[in-house]
Amino acid sequence: MARQTVRRAPEADLYKQSVARLITETSAREDPVLTRILFQYLGWAAFWLVVGTLAGGIVALKFRFPDFLDLPFLSFGRLRAIHTNTVFWGWTSLAMMGLALYAVPRASKTELYSVKLAKIALWLWNVMVLMGTLALASGINNGNQEYREYVWPLALLFAASLLLHVINFYNTIARRKMKEIYISNWYILSAFLWTLVLATIAYLPWYQRGLGQTIIQGYYMHQGVGMWFTPTVVGLTYYFLPLFLNRPIYSYALGVLGFWTQLVFYTIIGTHHFIFSPIPWLLQTIAIVFSVGMMVPVWAGTGNFLLTMKGIGGLIRRSYSLPFILVGVISYGLASTQGTLEAFRTANLTWHFTNFTVGHAHFTMYGFVAFLIWGGIYGLLPRLTGKEPPVKAVGVHFWMSTVGMAIYVASLSVGGTLQGLLWSAQKPFLESVVAMAPHWLWRAVGGMLMILGHLVFAYNLYHMRPAARSTVEARSGREQ
Amino acid sequence: MNFHTNPRLLYLTSLLIFVALSLAIAIYPAIEASKVPPAPGLEPLSPSAQRGREIYVAEGCSYCHTQQVRPLPQDQIFGRPSAPGDFAYSTPQLLGTERTGPDLANVGNRQPSSTWHLIHLYNPRAVVRESIMPAYWWYFQRKDQAGPGEVVVPVPDAWKPKGKVVVATPDALALVDYLLALKQPAVSAPSTGAGK
Ligand code: HEC
Ligand code: HEM
Ligand code: HEM
Repeated sequence: MARQTVRRAPEADLYKQSVARLITETSAREDPVLTRILFQYLGWAAFWLVVGTLAGGIVALKFRFPDFLDLPFLSFGRLRAIHTNTVFWGWTSLAMMGLALYAVPRASKTELYSVKLAKIALWLWNVMVLMGTLALASGINNGNQEYREYVWPLALLFAASLLLHVINFYNTIARRKMKEIYISNWYILSAFLWTLVLATIAYLPWYQRGLGQTIIQGYYMHQGVGMWFTPTVVGLTYYFLPLFLNRPIYSYALGVLGFWTQLVFYTIIGTHHFIFSPIPWLLQTIAIVFSVGMMVPVWAGTGNFLLTMKGIGGLIRRSYSLPFILVGVISYGLASTQGTLEAFRTANLTWHFTNFTVGHAHFTMYGFVAFLIWGGIYGLLPRLTGKEPPVKAVGVHFWMSTVGMAIYVASLSVGGTLQGLLWSAQKPFLESVVAMAPHWLWRAVGGMLMILGHLVFAYNLYHMRPAARSTVEARSGREQ
Repeated sequence: MNFHTNPRLLYLTSLLIFVALSLAIAIYPAIEASKVPPAPGLEPLSPSAQRGREIYVAEGCSYCHTQQVRPLPQDQIFGRPSAPGDFAYSTPQLLGTERTGPDLANVGNRQPSSTWHLIHLYNPRAVVRESIMPAYWWYFQRKDQAGPGEVVVPVPDAWKPKGKVVVATPDALALVDYLLALKQPAVSAPSTGAGK
């Protein structure tokens, strides 16, 4: 199909075509060793997904039944941190790393530099999540600083593991078998580098005290989602979408534009988590202005993906992965736009501190990030292992997660707005607690659907597992 | 030499831009804000209140409670707008991002009764029926009889085991000491936003 694209250089275009051709070239000679390590990452990710969202489900029930499971190690404050950290580091991060272990070398048309490094990195990371979860359950945390609740010795494991990936990916890319560095690898390796810096900044204690620590907290919380999850998963999509559709990305130049604007704008808007706080207003204003600027990379990415997918209507219904990718891409655009709106002072004075933000957090981390990961997994694994998941079960997973998330986000968006309006009307605080009761119940209902969906996902993943070591050689190379 | 073909150039550039922006937007302002002197009249925490603060952190109270008052009408019930100097002794910082429960920046002035706090911590629903705050019963002991010098918490009968008395542990008392110490100094510092 002929299409107009913004052209940067002829060789970039040639390269785009060649990425699209990877689909036919690579399946037959996939490396079973790489497939197995990739599957280990995904298996652990799925395990932490189930653990982490079960914790979220219990937390959700506590909003309605505060005395439900009121044991110290399952109490709200500890379990909430277990929920957020397990889904961030256990599920999302491991799944992205696993997919990157495939995408980085294949988008460089070469082999992974070292499978061994990848294995060590997996175990460092797993030990971190396990110890972190146990510590949080015992009330040992890094000062309630959201998403950096793991205490500093565990942050060393975090940094060490990331460093191994950086070494691994850099050397892979340096040995690429073509001239250009494909755009997916711009995003992915940069995200690993940025996050390494971020962890260092977050955990060095000497310069952050009192309100100074609040500034770092806004910065950290924001870079965590904006410079780790977002660029990695966007980068993966720049690789997977052309691969699965067997066509080049709509515009390579938009990908490049998105990369640089993401870097410059996202880095400086962390203070929008603390609007109307005593943090200097200049920082708050910069954060708001560039939150608007963020519309550039967000819609460059969203638009680029949507245009690449244009006209695939018929394909979607027959594909495991495309429905997930479509929801992920749409959520990326919508949820980020929601974030930009919430950053404006006029909107923030109503929505700040309310459950609206929790809705936004799940619209983004779930609707956008998790769905793109699932799209990647369902598209990739069958190619590598030759094993298809049960079609019906994939449909069940898709609909449970989509409907569950829609209920979750809708109930909290409505409820959060109500909370904000009640506060603005200066009603007694307790009224906002009472008014939230039905919305919290609906959130728990949506959440339960999502959790059930995750169990189905784990089942599907098991169906796509690679053959055991001994039978690998015997298995036929390609599947339908 | 260009970004598309030279990995060292590409990744070094993206790394350095990130580091430079982080220095300007986060690290430098954080160093400056860390130096803000305490607001006039702000007292450092007593050792017991400090212990209470550690429990507050261990239990994750700050996921439901903010400790920052915004310069907005709807926040007036919580106290005066927070100023940078209010946080001079607050490390780790506990400003929070969500208000499932009320702001606590000034709760020591608003709710000065230690008895109320003790019952409330033992089971919030014993004093506020609609509350969804967790019960922190593990900071209390249920006994047949209180020992000498022990603080008995007058929990209503419906909320405690029959025939037992509820006694506060030192940790519960420390946590209440902390809550009572959460008082905004009366002199309103130049209201909000650091004015920078
Ligand atoms: C699940 C969220 C949640 C958690 C966690 C939580 N609270 Fe609360 N808290 C509330 C709600 C809701 C209220 C309002 C109803 C009430 O007074 O119980 C409240 C009220 C309070 C009040 C009374 C404030 C006032 O103005 O009357 C204090 C004091 C308090 N909480 C302290 C704590 C402490 C200390 C912790 C941690 C040990 C904690 N809370 C953990 C939700 C929570
Ligand atoms: C244009 C892009 C975006 C903008 C401008 C934006 C803006 C915001 C703002 C203003 C808040 C704070 C709300 C408040 O507390 O009042 C927030 C919270 C949050 N955002 Fe976004 N957002 C964007 C994209 C994203 C993306 C892509 C993700 C996930 C990958 C994300 C994840 C989160 C999370 C998890 C929180 C909750 C933080 C917390 O309080 O714990 N956001 N966002
Ligand atoms: C991959 C899936 C998920 C991710 C990445 C995720 C992420 C998050 C994040 C970032 C927060 C903090 C929000 C904030 O501070 O603004 C959060 C809180 C929460 N999540 Fe999830 N979540 C996921 C799935 C679920 C599920 C399935 C449930 C089930 C109901 C759930 C229930 C909750 C609850 C109850 C909270 C606490 C909200 C509060 O304190 O008000 N989450 N989650």
